[in-house]
Amino acid sequence: MSTNGTRPTIVLDGEKVAFTPGETVYEAATRHGKDIPTLCYDPRLEPFGGCRLCVVEIEGARTPVASCTAQCQSGMDVRTRSARVEVHRRTLMEMLASENREVEVDELTSLASQEMTELVDRYEARTGRFEGRQSGASRPDDPNPFIMRDYDNCISCYRCVRVCAEQEGDYAISVKGRGFDTQITVEFDGHLKESACTFCGQCVQTCPTGALGDLKALAHREVEGETKKTRTVCPYCGVGCSVDLLTRGNQLIGVQPAMDGPANLGALCVKGQFAFDFIQHPDRLAHPLVRGEDGELHEAGWDEALDRAAEGFLRVRERYGRHSVYGVASGRAPHEAAYTMQKFIRGGFGTNYIDNCSRA
Amino acid sequence: MTDQEILARWKEEPAPLLPVLHAFHARDGYLSEDAIRAVSKGLRIPLADLYGTITFYHHFARVPGGLGCPRVCTGPVCVQEGALDILAELAPEGATGMPCSGRCDDPVPVLRGHLTLAGRSAADLVARPAPLPPPAPEGAAECVFRTIREPGHATLAGYRRDGGYEGLARAVREMTPVQVVEAIDRSGLAGRGGAGFPTGRKWRAVAEADGTPKSIVCNADEGEPGCFKDRALMDYDPHAVIEGMIASGYATGAHRGFIYLRYEYPETEDILAEAIREAAEAGILGPSVMGSGFAFDLHIRRGAGAYICGEETSLLNSMEGKHPFPRNRPPFPVTHGFENLPTVVNNVETLASVPHILALGAEWYAGLGMNGHAGTKVISLSGDILRPGNYEVPMGLPLERLLYDWAGGPLEGRTIQAVTMAGLSGGFLAGDDLFVTLDEPAIRARKSFLGAGGIMVFDDSRDMVEVAHAAMEFFAHESCGKCFPCRIGTQRLTERLAGEAGPDAVVAWVDEVADIGYTMKETSACGLGTAAPLITESLMRYFPDAVSRHVTGHGALPMAGPRGTEP
Repeated sequence: MSTNGTRPTIVLDGEKVAFTPGETVYEAATRHGKDIPTLCYDPRLEPFGGCRLCVVEIEGARTPVASCTAQCQSGMDVRTRSARVEVHRRTLMEMLASENREVEVDELTSLASQEMTELVDRYEARTGRFEGRQSGASRPDDPNPFIMRDYDNCISCYRCVRVCAEQEGDYAISVKGRGFDTQITVEFDGHLKESACTFCGQCVQTCPTGALGDLKALAHREVEGETKKTRTVCPYCGVGCSVDLLTRGNQLIGVQPAMDGPANLGALCVKGQFAFDFIQHPDRLAHPLVRGEDGELHEAGWDEALDRAAEGFLRVRERYGRHSVYGVASGRAPHEAAYTMQKFIRGGFGTNYIDNCSRA
Repeated sequence: MTDQEILARWKEEPAPLLPVLHAFHARDGYLSEDAIRAVSKGLRIPLADLYGTITFYHHFARVPGGLGCPRVCTGPVCVQEGALDILAELAPEGATGMPCSGRCDDPVPVLRGHLTLAGRSAADLVARPAPLPPPAPEGAAECVFRTIREPGHATLAGYRRDGGYEGLARAVREMTPVQVVEAIDRSGLAGRGGAGFPTGRKWRAVAEADGTPKSIVCNADEGEPGCFKDRALMDYDPHAVIEGMIASGYATGAHRGFIYLRYEYPETEDILAEAIREAAEAGILGPSVMGSGFAFDLHIRRGAGAYICGEETSLLNSMEGKHPFPRNRPPFPVTHGFENLPTVVNNVETLASVPHILALGAEWYAGLGMNGHAGTKVISLSGDILRPGNYEVPMGLPLERLLYDWAGGPLEGRTIQAVTMAGLSGGFLAGDDLFVTLDEPAIRARKSFLGAGGIMVFDDSRDMVEVAHAAMEFFAHESCGKCFPCRIGTQRLTERLAGEAGPDAVVAWVDEVADIGYTMKETSACGLGTAAPLITESLMRYFPDAVSRHVTGHGALPMAGPRGTEP
């Protein structure tokens, strides 16, 4: 494979480049800045070879080859953007546009939701050619509060099926029927709630067409303003999944997993993905409350509230000792608050009796 | 049998899912939700996965009584022989159609549970064996049909009387595995399922591959419309298939074999099972094949109705209980086959040729062909022809001689308009191209291929656009749905041939159909998608006037002309 101790090479659009044995043509090409279109590809999953958009010409091969499943071989001469493969990509995009209800979907639908739209535009595929029956049947009857199942816009790339099996290990989603009647479904065509689904949302975030949508985020589609993404770490547990918080103005409108998060590589659980309602919930405490003589809680100023709390803490410590206090921080509090809390318990009381509900 | 008894019977066997599902299906008359849950638990297959996989197959009934409902073949020949009338007549019994079920030489087959009936009308349906191959013309040298017409040949005694198992005896007693591979190599035998890959090379690759246990898989999922040769071979010469498989096992070091049999051949399953029982009893199968010390066991796995499972990697996924999508290649089955281990996948006809080659010699087989082509090919000939049936022709025989001299030509007062090649996958040949010789290079030069060797004849009374439409509908029905060009392309081409969608100007229609076909041919992931557009391609090549009439709805128009502009 390697010659004279150097790495083996392929010729990529006329340029000699090195590859790592075992690397696919798609991976090598992408690493060298080639923008090969794909729709069934998710770098976290086994290459599938379904969409065929990534076909390239390889010298000596009779027909174009799917680059996602072809491994680099020393001396391979690859053309990633020849007229021939571009023609096929355009035809494929026109065919895809013809089977869906719509090409345009709201960007809040999911992280990957714009992939198909972008390729339809790149290949100027809004030609209306190849019209005919549409594939997939949506499930507006599914009552779950998290995941929209709008299969009218499904292109059967199976990223949802594969991410559920390969990444999440739930095997909740499957493929029913075959050919143009293929339908993404769960056991016995039921609702997600009765299936093995854990509502981790990974299927939603990898869906390239908006057939699966994040209902929590979509509920905020009317909020005005530009969407801003802020990288943070999910506070719910000790794994440390990286997330991007979506905000418009001062309002949190959604959570998306970070594909480059070192702990999660785009994975989240139902809490990290969907459970952020509490932040802007009307029931949330907005003012300090102190208990009055009447035994009821009354709104109070910060000074009064803090004095009352400090007084109580001091009294307990004096009477029962420093280990009489046990602090538990909430997974719903910001990281900064969690840090301050442990500092307060350790430094303030001199005890190590501090924990966090996220330790699980 | 209880759920637990069924599961216990199969759980420790290789490739248990299909037999387990068939056992539940036969016991209950359908696959109930409870049965599917029990199988999921018993075989540790995720429920959603299992449910999806079951829905992939045409023949697993999901409603009570479903298995008992008649299934009427609506293949290309049968619809011309009254299948739709039979279907209508049996409708009160819940009859449904099924794709070509491989009995085009004796239409129309109707499945009722584990029984095949045949007849041209609902009143005529009787259970009768599928036909023997018709007699070969004087002087034609045959290989797989050489002894098949001898009475009692399907029994072990009859097979041995006709020289059966002599080749294997010599192989396991006097030859090394390498010598067996060399003999097959020298014979020029190539895959008779359609791909034409040299058999000796395949066996050598498996013999040299690392990893055990290795497997021999006989691809008996004869799903190609217009093909019924493997049925004849298995029904009338089951021991030849068994002998070929054992020889293949000996040559490659594989100790287990599987016959993956299509669902639509229930009687064949019984015949094979009986032959395997006889062979095991005689010590031909089992721990010491013919006393040689070489062990070989054989299992039958019955499919459940999916054309794509004739594609070898789909077949392997089906056997493994997975969703039967084709796999990405490389790696190939010779190194990563059944359970990711080295596996020979050979067609029935290929394996049935092996005993004759071992008995009579590689040179004998190679010499059977004409004009430098090696060996013979069984052609399943059906449709508008006087004597339909399976004919074993020397490679390189002119098609004309087969049609007119061997099979008697068209029906009285008719002329042959077109024939299909490779069953349906090779599209049509018509006009001067009917003078082709039957060998792969000659047929490929006419933009078609010989494939598994099914040839359906359509005379001048047939509407070729309608024939093409039915053909494409079949491919759409059988497309697995894995790759985009095939999943969408077969659907769009079907709609256009049905006149349901697409431009109503000829030039635009032809453009769309040609563009879809071009992308399907060049980018589809397996042979189904790459072959299906040969239907439209050859239709437009040979029958442009019929296409024009179909698109515009009126008289013949030039393919491109003043009316052939965008509407």
